[in-house]
Amino acid sequence: MSTLQSVVHDASLVVTCGPGGVGKTTTAAALALAAARAGRRVIVVTVDPARRLADTLGIDASARSHDPVEVVGATTHPTGSLWAQMLDAESTFDRMIADRAGDEQRVQAILSNPIYRSIAGSLAGAQEYMAIERLHQLWTSGEYDLIVIDTPPSRHAIDLLAAPDRLVTFFSHPVYRVLTVPGRSFARVTNAGSSAFLWAIRRLAGPKVVEDTIEFFRSLSGMEAGLRQRAAETAQILRSEETAFVLVSSPRAEAIDEAVHLAGALRDGGFPLHAMVVNLVHPTPAPLGMEVPADLPPGPLTDQFDLHRELTALVADEAREMNTLRTLADDAALVEVPLLDDVQDLAGLAVLGGHLLSTAG
Amino acid sequence: MILPDTLAGMGPVRATPVWLGRTRVLVVVGKGGVGTSTVAASSALLAAKGGADVLLVAVDGKPGLGPLLGGQPLGPAEQTLRTFTRGGGRVRGRTISPEQAFGDYLELKGFGRLLRRAASAASFDLIAGSTPGMEHLLVLGKIKELDREKAADLIIVDVPPAGHAAPFLRSASALQRAVASGPVRDQADEVSALLADHQRCQCVLVTLPEETPVNEVVELAYDLEDDLGLALAPLVVNACWPERPGLSMSAAAAAKQQHMTLPAATRRALDGVVRFGRARLDSQHEQFARLDEALPLPRVQLPRLPAARLLPAHLDLLASALAAEPIMPQRVSQ
Repeated sequence: MSTLQSVVHDASLVVTCGPGGVGKTTTAAALALAAARAGRRVIVVTVDPARRLADTLGIDASARSHDPVEVVGATTHPTGSLWAQMLDAESTFDRMIADRAGDEQRVQAILSNPIYRSIAGSLAGAQEYMAIERLHQLWTSGEYDLIVIDTPPSRHAIDLLAAPDRLVTFFSHPVYRVLTVPGRSFARVTNAGSSAFLWAIRRLAGPKVVEDTIEFFRSLSGMEAGLRQRAAETAQILRSEETAFVLVSSPRAEAIDEAVHLAGALRDGGFPLHAMVVNLVHPTPAPLGMEVPADLPPGPLTDQFDLHRELTALVADEAREMNTLRTLADDAALVEVPLLDDVQDLAGLAVLGGHLLSTAG
Repeated sequence: MILPDTLAGMGPVRATPVWLGRTRVLVVVGKGGVGTSTVAASSALLAAKGGADVLLVAVDGKPGLGPLLGGQPLGPAEQTLRTFTRGGGRVRGRTISPEQAFGDYLELKGFGRLLRRAASAASFDLIAGSTPGMEHLLVLGKIKELDREKAADLIIVDVPPAGHAAPFLRSASALQRAVASGPVRDQADEVSALLADHQRCQCVLVTLPEETPVNEVVELAYDLEDDLGLALAPLVVNACWPERPGLSMSAAAAAKQQHMTLPAATRRALDGVVRFGRARLDSQHEQFARLDEALPLPRVQLPRLPAARLLPAHLDLLASALAAEPIMPQRVSQ
């Protein structure tokens, strides 16, 4: 059995990660589809799918929903099913507040705070954090045999994996602690660091922003412990025996460089990297078996020889880049997937799945 | 006008295309993986060959652009990457991080030591987090300052990729709505004014001749132009397969036209790459037609390079391709 075959059959969680523009989301969807067709109940959670893929999965930007949708026509297997969900940082954050803030009045106070509104969508790492938060919700629900999480394109690998830690750091910042002590007005905040901080914001952004900031931090008080706990649990899930990280790249140097960086970060963080997928690999031309005449004038045959020469050079170049990745693979499998036409319907996903699970190579 | 380059080691003096010559700040935008950094670097090279003093700013801090242009990895300190004796142009490069822009801003505004300490590294996340779009505004504000100081004839900004381009450019207008007065508001006003000033600022969108990147660039174009009033320079379609008429026939037919006969193995090998090449060209033409239909912007097509890793020599090649007269979109259906 190939590595990705056993991942599809046995893992409980698959996390795909990699640079942008290499077919990461499509790879996640193809693995999920293969698992569903093998009889498992699968959900694929994606961040920013291309339009046609979103259509195929039955999720689209205008209908962001908290509830997973079942992908129509995905499988005829009696026990298999494929579900999809689009991740939206802001609404996941909203839901987390609603779940944890306690009474309705407090929930509303937080949700309508302008500072919250800006943080929910734009706090550095919010999207990554939400991918993790959603994962925790799905994992504990026990409703799926396999969860496939597609992460946002990460130039800096740590963005995703450090997100829980970073949010916890945010909530345990000394300024935050002082601000959330009940009964203190701005005037009475005596801690030098905090008042200087607020003074800085007031000078820079005006007094209204300061009031909103204090209010925001106050309204969040008490949630920090829960967040910490959840971050710790998620960190464990991500390193569990049942989890497989799949790193997706293309053979282009920029993508390979990022993938190398990411592979290192995964290893350093103790995350189980099972496979590296290199998408969009150009086909190797058959050898010509003859010398190309040196002084061939322009013409159709010259065009064809030119293309043959360029593709041969490109493929050799790509192989060199992939070797860099291969030396880092350790136990992880390296799977090459040829350049396919826009893979965005179920048939295309199945073809891609065939390549991913192939035992060759 | 292209002057011959007679002295070794000197790039030719090249006529700068109109769209590149008429602006002071050029913002290069595109989704991840389409090659915005490459386009930013080759635009810088092209303008410098035309005699301009160019400052290339990598917002995302991609250090690799430095070596590609013949220098050290880019960092917060400015460095000269390339100079052209003939014409007097040069390319300088640096990164700008929000943290660094923040420090510079406080210093520029004459804020005291206390405030600077309060706003030091530890609180930066909080300040940036508490004020919507603040991080982005700081970087744009720094670019605006550089423009005001006339730090270069042309400032080229490589904008962070993926989903971040629109929020980045929209930060100023968002802050104008959120903040009523004070220095942040002033900064937001000035940055908005720069972005909307078509004499001073132009935006280059970059895409690939593939379905998803085309969809995304069309959306982005309308977003940026309608929403922010940005002036759009020609669209750059990166990594286009070169047009090769010879791919329309079999190897045997092509050989016949050039009065050659080929061994069977050679014919089979050529037919294989021809099939592949023609499929790529067909789908590329389909995407050009979709762009014609959806985006009334002139476009410049850059060739796909037969290499997985970009080398300094490639940049010169791409710079020449950028100098071509932009293609006007054809109205297909009307």
